[in-house]
Amino acid sequence: MDFNFTDEQKMLRESARGFCEDKSPMSFVLEMEEDEKGYTPELWKGMAELGWMGLVIPEEYGGVGMSFMDLIVLLEEMGRVCLPGPFFSTVVLGGLTILEGGNESQKNEFLPKIANGDIILSFALAEPSSTQYDPSLIEVTATAEQDRFIIDGTKLFVSDANVADYIICAARTQGEPASKDGITLFFVDAKSPGIKCSLLKTVAGDKQCEVIFDKVVVSEENVLGEVNGGWFVIEKILQKAAVAKCAEMVGGGQKVLEMAVEYAKQRVQFGKLIGTFQAVQHHCANMAIALQGSKFITYKAGWMLSEGVPCAMQVSAAKAWTSEAYKKLVILGHQIFAGTGFMAEHEMPMYSRRARAAELAFGDANYYRKMVAQDIGLAPRS
Amino acid sequence: MDFSYTQEEEMFRKRLNEFLDKELTEEIARQNWEDLGVGPEAREFSRKLYENGFLGLPWPKEYGGQELSPTYDFILIDELGKRWGAHVPLDVGYTMTGHTILRRGSEEMKKEFLPKIIRGEIEFGLGYTEPNAGSDLASMMMKAEEKDDYYLINGQKTFNTESHYADYHWLAARTELDPDKPKHRGISLFIVDQRSPGITIRPLITMSGERTNEVFYDDVKVPKDRMVGEKNKGFYYMMEAIDSERNHVFVPARLWPIVNDMISYVKATEYNGKLLSDDPQIQSKLAQMIIDLEVAQVLADNARWLELNELPMTMEPEITKLVVSELEQRMVDDAMQILGLYGQLEEGSKWAPLRGRIEWYYLHSFLPTIGAGTSEVGRNVIAQRGLGLPRG
Repeated sequence: MDFNFTDEQKMLRESARGFCEDKSPMSFVLEMEEDEKGYTPELWKGMAELGWMGLVIPEEYGGVGMSFMDLIVLLEEMGRVCLPGPFFSTVVLGGLTILEGGNESQKNEFLPKIANGDIILSFALAEPSSTQYDPSLIEVTATAEQDRFIIDGTKLFVSDANVADYIICAARTQGEPASKDGITLFFVDAKSPGIKCSLLKTVAGDKQCEVIFDKVVVSEENVLGEVNGGWFVIEKILQKAAVAKCAEMVGGGQKVLEMAVEYAKQRVQFGKLIGTFQAVQHHCANMAIALQGSKFITYKAGWMLSEGVPCAMQVSAAKAWTSEAYKKLVILGHQIFAGTGFMAEHEMPMYSRRARAAELAFGDANYYRKMVAQDIGLAPRS
Repeated sequence: MDFSYTQEEEMFRKRLNEFLDKELTEEIARQNWEDLGVGPEAREFSRKLYENGFLGLPWPKEYGGQELSPTYDFILIDELGKRWGAHVPLDVGYTMTGHTILRRGSEEMKKEFLPKIIRGEIEFGLGYTEPNAGSDLASMMMKAEEKDDYYLINGQKTFNTESHYADYHWLAARTELDPDKPKHRGISLFIVDQRSPGITIRPLITMSGERTNEVFYDDVKVPKDRMVGEKNKGFYYMMEAIDSERNHVFVPARLWPIVNDMISYVKATEYNGKLLSDDPQIQSKLAQMIIDLEVAQVLADNARWLELNELPMTMEPEITKLVVSELEQRMVDDAMQILGLYGQLEEGSKWAPLRGRIEWYYLHSFLPTIGAGTSEVGRNVIAQRGLGLPRG
């Protein structure tokens, strides 16, 4: 057992903290919420130069060859400043999917471009019928026609599709809508005729889109992994995505706690620092408990994923606990900042809006409780 | 980061479980968990733990240990805990006072007590709380006056849980009697033979049936060499031990029996032609218990790791204590709700489900958020010591 970070991880954290605080102050985050693209090419280039896009891509494909656990450290720092942009979509959802499901020629073609920051990726999974989070509920169809497929249907909540060069689309090639068999992943050029992308307005001001596929033609060379075997890849990627999202929440939660404690040490009411009041101290203590639990279960799940140890239970625990904990952290943070924290220009809303978005991404606590119930044999596997 | 155990540690765990399959009974486990008094079978079990190489591994060789990692003791209490919430039978000596003797005791004291503690032969009762010194422990009034070669001790302790079967009383008493001196700089620790003349032990019975005690001292003479460490440093010794004590006492694994019992119950119990395990609300409650236990375990692992690497602990063991104790209350509440009307039936009653264990846990669950410091004091500690907020 060892809770130490490696020296490389400590260095990565330090450089990420400096870069993120410098390049992504709150004013920039709020500006990007209003911006059509939601990121700037300068920032993207800067991140690529630091090697972040290629962090978990093996050296043979032009990456840095670090581990998923290293990526957790980086994502934590990004979450700390609510760093805007398509990093999560490109690297976690895009890069890891190609690494997991792609064939050698796909890896050779796309991974170096990701590592260089030359392309932006997006992952299209959810659909209008997913009124409850259910990644296997796929109704968008891909019909085989000689050496190509025709994709038809609507995807929702597709992050960063508005700026993506490629969209990885999960489509049904056979079977019933909720079946895990018969799903295929396609690597689709975002400029293909028949793709229509429009931005949704979201609580976190992030760039989630509706993407309509209207008879979009994709060559069979652009199938990622096996035809009808997409679920195998999706399941693995969603485990990593859930824990990666936890890492962002841990970073944000850490910052919220630090801000609240700092404020409680300065703000005077009734002639005393509010931090001397037990009610405020207990709020802060509850925030610390929520944060510590989130941190260590995220690290544990991240480490297990990194080592390739089966960890469905820990992933479920991480996303269920951390989603709830981050909400608790922002609620208590708002109580401590009171009226001032309710103002749109304050840091608190930036975090509380994202706490909600992060909870919903890749399954909330309800979803993971269902997963745990299945894992202990209480509910039949869906 | 590395969340795995070494091969040797996993082998130890396996060997230990084979031993526990044979030797640990529910009766022995519950004697400790429910403070019913440690009987001959439990004392025998304690000795066997040592003889078979499961007790004392991290302790110094000169006192009978093997000088291995403290991880072995944590594996031991985890694996015991998974079985009816068991603990090391003589746990106060083994997980609490022994460590302070090792840190602060004289060489003679170490030689006298440590081998017996490590071999699982003697037990201590904690003598801290008084009627007017609960959360505010530094206000204790029990008086120890220095005489020629002994201390003369008078006063009253309360909620001294192990005293009716312990061999020794681990006593905190006031040795600085000047009321103008700071309260916490006037307390010393003593090891008192419980058979000493002048000690009276009276039972107090808790709402969940545990026995605890009031202990009265009436002109009790305690030899000077039974003072632990230096005079007037007792409060500091108590505080420096508190983190490690939390790490050894608030063990998430001890809550697994509740979850496991409930899972087997819902898989075997029908309502309206369907198994309870088919009910999504029940599934959700049980899943949340497991999620919370996973998190509690990794919090405990972190605090233990800090301890065994001698790194500073500010709020980590306190967080584990709060999470584990409040989790027990939530789990028991959910379990009671799942059991419905049957949940109120006591052990021994006709129709009692799960041998009435959940009903007992309900009664018990009021204790952990109070014992060893209330949750409220714990949150003060986290805020002040952990987060650096100012004292009021």
